[in-house]
Amino acid sequence: MLSRNFRLQKVGNLDWIENNYNFENIAFSIDELIILNVNRNGRNLIEFSKTIAKLISNVFVPVAVGGGVTSMEYAKTLFMSGADKIIINSILTENPYLVKELVREYGSQSVIASIDYNIDKKEILAYRNNGINPINYNFTDYITYIQKLGVGEVYLNSIQKDGTGQGYSMDIIGPYLNLFKVPVILAGGAGNSKHLIEASHNPGVDAVATANLFNFIGQALPNSRRDMQEEGIHMANFLPLKKVKQPV
Amino acid sequence: MKIVIVNYGMGNIYSIQNALKFLGFASEYSDDPAKISNADKIILPGVGSYRKAMQNIISKDLKNPIKEAVEKKGNPILGICLGMQLLGISSTEDGYTKGLGLFDGIVERFDEKCNLKIPHIGYNEVMPASNSVLFQSIKENPDFYFVHSYRMMSPIENGITTCNYGENFIAAFEQNNVFGTQFHPEKSQTNGLILLKNFLSV
Repeated sequence: MLSRNFRLQKVGNLDWIENNYNFENIAFSIDELIILNVNRNGRNLIEFSKTIAKLISNVFVPVAVGGGVTSMEYAKTLFMSGADKIIINSILTENPYLVKELVREYGSQSVIASIDYNIDKKEILAYRNNGINPINYNFTDYITYIQKLGVGEVYLNSIQKDGTGQGYSMDIIGPYLNLFKVPVILAGGAGNSKHLIEASHNPGVDAVATANLFNFIGQALPNSRRDMQEEGIHMANFLPLKKVKQPV
Repeated sequence: MKIVIVNYGMGNIYSIQNALKFLGFASEYSDDPAKISNADKIILPGVGSYRKAMQNIISKDLKNPIKEAVEKKGNPILGICLGMQLLGISSTEDGYTKGLGLFDGIVERFDEKCNLKIPHIGYNEVMPASNSVLFQSIKENPDFYFVHSYRMMSPIENGITTCNYGENFIAAFEQNNVFGTQFHPEKSQTNGLILLKNFLSV
């Protein structure tokens, strides 16, 4: 597990999460869980899928998993580990036929396209291979292109803001949001509930994501959720967990 | 109590079983016709294409065991998402496909005229049917997780829980021993866990 605060930083394995966080508390404060394998030095699929299965055994929200999906077999292993959706990036341009096959096999609702974007010489560009290589498309064309492949959702991540906690880069991505005909998850930069609220008010944003560790400490997540609701953002209302444990 | 989750090769195989385990119930994931027809409770899960799902159910010889358990023995069944749709009469997904016919509902794509994003993904509020068994002790207008492009409509009025996404559609139904939810209770946090518990208590 990696924290993306102030650059990628290794914080510990799964036991570390269990010891340092009340993961059940986190899992019952979110609408959806995203697990990304951001390992740059070769990804161990077996290890990763075991981690997923263990991490989500008591998670009862949709789970999206991504990082290194390059074949049907790879995707299948992730689905078999409990993923409801897979997140893809590099294959969108490197292997569009595979994307179409994934959509055909698992349905568009199970395939999320991740767009890592950044500004290069005043121009907005999408990147692949963990944000390393720019994709040679005009950004608007790229948005049209990936939607034609049949993906059901888009995960929009600002490379520049990711892990900073300074807020989403709405000034850059804002003008493009109306080009999406599929739901948009905004990611990269959220550091507090204000950021989450601001982005949620944008009609082009369907969901907001945070990977910022500060948001997971103590009651930060349940509190953010409450703040958002107080600001009039429609959030799902869930019954308290203890009610589940009571006999009917 | 023997709980069987029907395995016909469609959908997330762990999440429902995990949810039942969390609630303290053991369940079996099976495509064995005998086990299905002898189950006390049947759960029909499913994500994916309607046509392919029915093809799988028929090729695995599961159609008759399911119908026998539900219609002759009166055992409760819960269809989830595509599983709920399969309990209906038919769907127009990938052309016309007949379903299991255990509930009088037909499945069609969301009306494009509503100008909303399809698939309908995310949590949405539902309006529980009055005196609902499934929604017992769940507060008014609870939220559940949806992910679907096709929705069910029915002439039946009793036992219908609705949701609105541009138009009203069936979020859940209950008719005697036949239950269905378009949303995923196993992905709807505490609300869904309580709903599953209610089904198991039928």
